[in-house]
Amino acid sequence: MKLTIEQFSALEHELDTVKQQVKAQLGEQDARYIRRVLLVQRLSAISGRILLVLGFITPWLWLVGVLLLALGKILDNMEIGHNVLHGQYDWMNDPVLHSKRYEWDIACDAGSWQRTHNFEHHTYTNIIGKDRDFGYGLLRLSNDFRWRVRNLWQGATYLLLSMFFQWGVSYHELAAQRVFAGKKKADRHSQVSDSALKKAFFSKGARQLIKDYLFFPLIAGPMWLWVLSGNLLANLIRNLWTSTVIFCGHFTKDVHVFTAAQCENESRGQWYYRQMLGSSNFTGPTWLHILTGHLSCQIEHHLFPDIPARHYPAMAKQVQAIAAKYAIPYNTGSFVRQYSTVFGRIMRYSLPGGGKAVKAL
Amino acid sequence: MKPLLKRLWRAFCMMLGNQPALSRYLLPIIQQFSPGFLPGHFRARVSGKYWATADMLQLTFRVSKRWQGFFPGQHVLLTLRHNGRYISRPFSICSTLADWQSTRSIALCCKVTSGAEFTPLLNQLQNETVVNISAAQGDFHWQQPALPALFIAAGSGITPIASMLLSQRHWLAPVSLYYRYRGSENAALLVQLKQLASRQPLFTLTLSDSRVEPAADMTNALLPQAKDKQIYLCGPAGFMQQIQQRLTEAGVALCTIHKEQFGPALPAIPCETITGDADESARQTTFIRAGSPHQVAASTQHSLLHAAEQHGLTPSFGCRMGVCFQCVCDKVSGQVRDIRTGALSGNGAEQIQLCISQPVTELVIKL
Repeated sequence: MKLTIEQFSALEHELDTVKQQVKAQLGEQDARYIRRVLLVQRLSAISGRILLVLGFITPWLWLVGVLLLALGKILDNMEIGHNVLHGQYDWMNDPVLHSKRYEWDIACDAGSWQRTHNFEHHTYTNIIGKDRDFGYGLLRLSNDFRWRVRNLWQGATYLLLSMFFQWGVSYHELAAQRVFAGKKKADRHSQVSDSALKKAFFSKGARQLIKDYLFFPLIAGPMWLWVLSGNLLANLIRNLWTSTVIFCGHFTKDVHVFTAAQCENESRGQWYYRQMLGSSNFTGPTWLHILTGHLSCQIEHHLFPDIPARHYPAMAKQVQAIAAKYAIPYNTGSFVRQYSTVFGRIMRYSLPGGGKAVKAL
Repeated sequence: MKPLLKRLWRAFCMMLGNQPALSRYLLPIIQQFSPGFLPGHFRARVSGKYWATADMLQLTFRVSKRWQGFFPGQHVLLTLRHNGRYISRPFSICSTLADWQSTRSIALCCKVTSGAEFTPLLNQLQNETVVNISAAQGDFHWQQPALPALFIAAGSGITPIASMLLSQRHWLAPVSLYYRYRGSENAALLVQLKQLASRQPLFTLTLSDSRVEPAADMTNALLPQAKDKQIYLCGPAGFMQQIQQRLTEAGVALCTIHKEQFGPALPAIPCETITGDADESARQTTFIRAGSPHQVAASTQHSLLHAAEQHGLTPSFGCRMGVCFQCVCDKVSGQVRDIRTGALSGNGAEQIQLCISQPVTELVIKL
């Protein structure tokens, strides 16, 4: 299945063409779409917060409020925030929907996210030692990592990580830079000083905590406990959902992992190839795609991170055909099937041994 | 006291909606009721449109009450929403202060370049369409009306100067205008300026038609008058350079020459010219970093990111291949080329990725 240099450049050309075709037609429809999603997000977040207080009429209103607030947070993080921060809508010159200005309703500072996710994860996808998103430094997901005793209970670690996912994401860069603990790694360079990292981490985190657990409960007066618990539940739902979606993108059974040596001096065609092997999709109805921020099309997202995500399902058909042409495995399946392989993987590698995931390029 | 309150309010808005102002959080809702609303900009409603010359469109706008007014000679950024994008270009205000004070309306004279991205859209604007304008900007205005002054305009460079002259109520010193154009049918605002010359004895108007009179004749005629006067200069870049050179050679102090650098709207440079001088190696680029400008000669063969770093500036960056969008910056003016596709940007204010942009013209970029 090894491709020749000529095949890599042909692959590069074909995928570039897919990208250019979509890029050429970006315009009014995309702008209208994302503005409508933003409107729905604002309305569901605001009405959710109001309904939490109206829980004194009937608790059902409180429950609807929790779901609406969770929906608002999920739309903000996934279909709007994640995609806007990738620069997918920079061409609109919009005052809000711009990668440099957008800040999202999550504990992680947008700038920190752009450094760790957009740059580190998207450039070095699934390269062991370079992409810290592979296992987040907490989970052992292939036999390319040495087994440690703590991996025995990584099922529980995974559950905790999912519940507090926004804090995991927000602490991610500080952990990599060993800001609070551990020995600095000689090969890691940062554009940002440790003190700036700390400042962003604490100020963004504090803002989120004050909003959900102090300000809104306080102005709710006697309903403070309802509002506080409603916010806690909405954050929990968002955390579990985002973590589940993201785990399905890179930790399914058949994703490939690479070594740094394999990827030295790789061409753009080879980079495309690695993105296809290192990611996995799942299928579902349109509403599911929107709730995942179209990360259900993780392969297309990794190939074309700056193309507005609503185009991914249509592009997926073309990409899948190209993959078949070059006999490149295209990892997709139903949501339930993909997620069960993720869970299986976490459990399997909590014990010593297991297969190596690194594949020849 | 006020800055502290402002900072607290901003922190409160950031806490509540992760936006520096509530209007930005509520933007999608506000825009449902008030479609032209755009934070940091003012609403302007098209109230008239006519062709001042064959390629100069004069647009009149009724502007929002919140707009603070202008000094004649200043320009505004006009923002349109076209095909999903906000695009903007600077235009000089060509109407008078009296018009604004009495009817809250201003006029912009816009040179329409066919095939360009922005200006042809102006002709499609219907009456009552809402667009956005910025606050009035620029320091090209008549600073000392009590001193004798010499105004020199060429082509569409007349618009800011006409606004200054036609707005003047109390004439205190002799003022002369040299106005150069290509054929009187292409001379915008000529009627109004002639009327002013006939009723105001302190104002002399000298016309110069480039079809019949060589540029040197006009320059020779105005040079003897230039001594000890405030000079206001606006026109195409080549014309301004020439005049300024002749003036300084004749001993006119640089500090008395006021000029509008960019003119009403920069025409896009056609592609042939660009490929033609591609090996000519550098473009003057001004990087504005935290408010202070840094002049850099940026190579047309390398990315702007490379140029900024070579000169010790440290813009944020990531992948250096156009993927991660950490190096996105505000371009204030000038044109760049996308290294990957060869696509050319517009001339106006917009965001660019430094790592995949090469300079094409002189640039001003906020890091």
